[in-house]
Amino acid sequence: MANVSVAAEWQLLYNRYYRKPELYPMRWKHVDLARHKVAAAPFGGPVAVIRDDSKIVQLHAESALRKLRLFNSAGHPLADAVWRHPGGRLIGMSWTDDLTLVCVVQDGTIYRYDLHAQLVEPNISMGKECFEQNVADCVFWGNGVVCITEQNQLFCIPDFRNPKPVPLADPMIEEPPRCIAVIEPQYTMSGNVEVLLGVADDPVVLVVEEDGVQRLGEGLLRGPLQKMVVSRDGKWLASFTHDGRLLVTTSDLTGIIIERECESSLPPEQIAWCGMDAVLLYWDDMLLMMGPDGDPVHYFYDEPIILIPECDGVRILSNTSMEFLQRVPDSTVSIFTIGSTSPAALLYDALDHFDRRSAKADENLRLIKPSLPEAVEACVDASGHEFDVSRQRTLLRAASYGQAFCSNFQRDRIQEMCKILRVLNAVRSPEIGIPLSIQQYKLLSPSVLIGRLINAHRHLLALRISEYLGMNQEVVIMHWACSKITASLSIPDATLLDILLDKLKLCKGISYAAVAAHADKNGRRKLAAMLVDHEPRSSKQVPLLLSIGEEDTALMKATESGDIDLVYLVLFHIWQKRQSLEFFGTIQARPLARDLFITYARCYKHEYLKDFFLSTGQLQDVAFLLWKESWEFVKNPMASKGSPLHGPRIKLIEKAQSLFAETKEHVFESKAAEEHAKLLRIQHELEVTTKQAIFVDSSISDTIRTCIVLGNHRAAMRVKTEFKVSEKRWYWLKVFALATIKDWVALEKFSKEKRPPIGYRPFVEACIEADEKAEAIKYIPKLADPRERAESYARIGLVKEAADAASQAKDGELLGRLKLTFAQNAAASSIFDTLRDRLSFPGAS
Amino acid sequence: MAQIPNLDNAPINLISIREQSQKELINILKNEHGVELRHLSADHIQTDCTKVVYLVRSQPNLMRHICSNIHHDESKGLQREYHVYFVPRRTVVCEKVLEEEKLHNMVTIGEYPLYIVPMDEDVLSFELDLAYKECQVDGDTSSLWHIAKAIHKLEFSFGVIPNLRAKGKASVRVADILNRMQAEEPVNSSDFLNIKNGSIELDASIMGLQQEGKKTKVPLNSSDKLFKEIRDLNFEVVVQILRQKATSMKQDYTEMTTTSQSVSELKDFVKKLNSLPEITRHINLAQHLTTFTSKPSFMGQLDMEHTIVESQSYDICFDYIEELIHKQEPLTTVLRLLILFSVTNSGLPKKHFDYLRRELLHSYGFEHITTLNNLEKAGLFKKQESRSNWLTIKRALQLVVEDTDTANPNDISYVFSGYAPLSIRLIQHAIRSGWRPVEEILKLLPGPHLETKRGAFSNSPSFDSLSGVSTGIAKVPDGRRALVLVVFVGGVTFAEISALRFLCSQEGMAYDLIIATTKIVNGQTLVETFMEKLG
Repeated sequence: MANVSVAAEWQLLYNRYYRKPELYPMRWKHVDLARHKVAAAPFGGPVAVIRDDSKIVQLHAESALRKLRLFNSAGHPLADAVWRHPGGRLIGMSWTDDLTLVCVVQDGTIYRYDLHAQLVEPNISMGKECFEQNVADCVFWGNGVVCITEQNQLFCIPDFRNPKPVPLADPMIEEPPRCIAVIEPQYTMSGNVEVLLGVADDPVVLVVEEDGVQRLGEGLLRGPLQKMVVSRDGKWLASFTHDGRLLVTTSDLTGIIIERECESSLPPEQIAWCGMDAVLLYWDDMLLMMGPDGDPVHYFYDEPIILIPECDGVRILSNTSMEFLQRVPDSTVSIFTIGSTSPAALLYDALDHFDRRSAKADENLRLIKPSLPEAVEACVDASGHEFDVSRQRTLLRAASYGQAFCSNFQRDRIQEMCKILRVLNAVRSPEIGIPLSIQQYKLLSPSVLIGRLINAHRHLLALRISEYLGMNQEVVIMHWACSKITASLSIPDATLLDILLDKLKLCKGISYAAVAAHADKNGRRKLAAMLVDHEPRSSKQVPLLLSIGEEDTALMKATESGDIDLVYLVLFHIWQKRQSLEFFGTIQARPLARDLFITYARCYKHEYLKDFFLSTGQLQDVAFLLWKESWEFVKNPMASKGSPLHGPRIKLIEKAQSLFAETKEHVFESKAAEEHAKLLRIQHELEVTTKQAIFVDSSISDTIRTCIVLGNHRAAMRVKTEFKVSEKRWYWLKVFALATIKDWVALEKFSKEKRPPIGYRPFVEACIEADEKAEAIKYIPKLADPRERAESYARIGLVKEAADAASQAKDGELLGRLKLTFAQNAAASSIFDTLRDRLSFPGAS
Repeated sequence: MAQIPNLDNAPINLISIREQSQKELINILKNEHGVELRHLSADHIQTDCTKVVYLVRSQPNLMRHICSNIHHDESKGLQREYHVYFVPRRTVVCEKVLEEEKLHNMVTIGEYPLYIVPMDEDVLSFELDLAYKECQVDGDTSSLWHIAKAIHKLEFSFGVIPNLRAKGKASVRVADILNRMQAEEPVNSSDFLNIKNGSIELDASIMGLQQEGKKTKVPLNSSDKLFKEIRDLNFEVVVQILRQKATSMKQDYTEMTTTSQSVSELKDFVKKLNSLPEITRHINLAQHLTTFTSKPSFMGQLDMEHTIVESQSYDICFDYIEELIHKQEPLTTVLRLLILFSVTNSGLPKKHFDYLRRELLHSYGFEHITTLNNLEKAGLFKKQESRSNWLTIKRALQLVVEDTDTANPNDISYVFSGYAPLSIRLIQHAIRSGWRPVEEILKLLPGPHLETKRGAFSNSPSFDSLSGVSTGIAKVPDGRRALVLVVFVGGVTFAEISALRFLCSQEGMAYDLIIATTKIVNGQTLVETFMEKLG
């Protein structure tokens, strides 16, 4: 049976099975790990290789210059670069989470490379102390590094995205530590990195942090440690003691969990966690796997290996192959263990029978009928854990075969697994070389995977995967477009534009402005301008147009958008960049920009606004500004009072007047300014003669009223004549002024001066408003219109008189209204009713 | 009575809009204890607080006050933390002012994206008090962008508005900006509530200068049931209705004391008693209002407004206004009539124009030259350059209706006792049959008009077939009426709102109406935005 051969490759450690399938034979040639420093990124990431300059090696047919070479996990070359950096020996190198290769050299300089072996500027420095003391060793984690100097001082960069070196507390040790490990900041109480040091002749672990050093494990360790490694979750510490024991303790060294004798007291070269259940120790040609109990497993290698820890196992890289050592998943165990009678195993077996047209298939199925869903689930799950495509297929076929007899199984489970496997198989192909296990894939997330693919310039695959998984393709297309621009220096703008547009249009809402910005950064301004024209979002388009010097287009687009903020953005940009006259010319041609400029300048750039109006020949607007300024004198008492004739103020108004006079459309304004100046002069004189500061800045009408109220009729007359005040207005003003001071005698006299040009209504109204009924009665009879008479009588409450007048007017509607006025008065109502009735039948009256 | 309007019965979920605004405001003021509230002015802030938060409209002129505040603190050696929150968003020009004053490093800048304030269950305001003046006089069209943005935000909550009609230059521009926004940042139509057939009317308030004499200080809105009943009535009728209510209550009371009542009857009576304070308050209010509405000046003015609108007796109107000026009646009153007079005549003959302007400057002071200039720029009070087509418009749209029964109205003209507001008449046509039948009349009115269909996927070619689906007037599946959002650019009066509500309540009306406006205005407040004293 097929099952037997699968399980035959497993090793039993304590009560668990482990397997070690080969992921790839390495495609590289002439790489001897023993002669090289190697950095391999987790999650099936790339491998960086460079000749180790701390070892004396024989050069075969190769250049003396060292080369940094990058490969994918299958040993497929990605890129290389000649290493000619100063700063001494390479101390350590590692990949960060975003797959930047960081290389620490002796003087504390950190060189960074991207996936294409391009140096990422700028270089980082670990600081002056490292430079002076030399870096002796370093330990990396996800996005950080800790360096120890030759004088045993510690420095760390907690996050390469913000590369600032931070000194740690002085561990006060004489000799270099035997071993170093770190607990990542995300797993410590303080949120800062903790560095664990195993020191010579001291049976403790020193924990170094930014603000102090602690001694842990005293009395627990029975001797110094030679090698340490912290588990992936930061909780456990595996260490190798001076006397050849493997210790697993809590990472705060408060208790020993496991203590096992090893076969050698020589410290291993490498030590690593395999998942959370086992620890790997590697000596020269032997790899030892220790579990919590039972006999360790031995693997023998006749070539050097590198252990690459993953979340669910360890990848083992040798000169010739990449293997993955992992605990066999439970579902796989249940199907393939020799002699297994689990439902899943029987289902798998049933498929085999079915394929061979054996009736045993049915028998098997019937046997497991009640637990069929579990069996199907186990087959689906196991298929996910397989690297072998044909075995994936067989397991999925078994699942699907079982599902057909199973009513209550989640239908999309198989489909979902197929999807995942198709993605995994695609990225596992040796050309791509990302051998993710399903567990790693889930932890990494599809979007990060796509990010890695586009970083590796695998755009097409990234696009297909994101399309397949229903994810937003914008990231991929955007990155592709930018990479394309960078890589296409020799393609002419128009051709490249077509190539880009062809792909950009695949993605609705993509930022053309961002692509254009990239083109501009690459020195292709013309291409940028062509691209940005396709950007529908003005808020993105306009700033970019400004940055590539297309101000006029920017102004046009901003204006079209209707977004005033964008227009101002362009406006201020041009204002700052251009000479005044040129600036004025530009905005004069664009009404919206011009109006906004005026609005802003009216508030904050008064003088400059005058320049603008003068330059564009809008003299009347200058005049308005001057006229407005003339009032500023009022607000500033120092300037106004005390100055004879209010000189400066009047001068400004007169200047405004003459500017208005320049254009024939503004004759009215010119005349008004002239009158205003004249009025101010007269008012000032009046203030001097009356010694009362109550005239300036009142209107002509008010000035007349004030004069009359003060009894200065001559002055009132003078103002009237000076400003040619009409008789109509004069009568209203004088009547109201006299009523204000209740000079009823003068009022009567005035009424008799001559027949008033607007009749006696002003007199009546003034008296009524002053509540002087007796005075009002004098004038009401003189009103010509009976309707007015009726209403006036009504207003002072004379019902009978009102009714009489109304009946004279023969106006039914008026009567009705008057009746309403007297609604509370029953007697009055009846009078109006009678009158109205009479009006409705004119013949009867 | 609730202080803010109850929005439970709104045709769309306005509560969410309000809650969002509330949440954002609380975020701005979070963790602050003992907050003191001040109005922004040039006066310096007298307080012990070490943190000052300015919540300010993003108008450049307001920045001056903030600058002067901070400079004053600096000169006194006061150390304070300054936060400026711009409503509704930060703008280049405001930050420029801070930068020029070298203050931009001292203030923390934030945004309070308040675009819409629900004023009632069917009224939204953008609270852009100066929109009309800014557009017409200053050429600053910020408010149009704001309106489009606000509508676009509504679309994000309630779905794309498929039919759009606009009249007037500003409205058409808003529609244009709105369409751009939709192209830039499309609203997907898939998962929305139930606006599927809404259409939108945009209308520049060309004639919104009249209104009833309603002026209130007590918060009055739909949460007050009685107010809801009487607010949209003609002022002549309100008193009668209130009297009826009071009388029936009194009658109930008499019955109560004379005859024996069952418990349930008693209960009903007590229920009615609960509304007593409301009635009392409204009677008081109505009484107060009557003192204005029965004044000869109010009646005279109303008469004059009618005379002007009827446009038959030019000289009478001219003399009346001239006399108001001579009597130095309040300037806003004069300008209101003057504007109505000028607009209906499409300006005044040059001789009269200059004469009245001179009389105005003489009577009220030369500082009002700017006000006159503003009105002229806005085309509200200007020299006659062409023949007026008001009579044609008035006749074609039946704006003046004889024999209006204000108590039992059958036409929107009841709101002005016989004059149907032009804006509402247009909306009436737009809702009933679209622009096409009234195209000729629309051409007589200032500004272009527009009618367009929009779809959520309009810019994605593959979905084109979908966008044409919603045609005709149809009821939304759940039986609610489809929605029409009526947007007034420049402002709307209470009377116009009343007229719209009247339309909405008519039998056979296929839509619910929601009104949005830059500001609820009246003749007075609208004129005031144009008044600018030089002094």
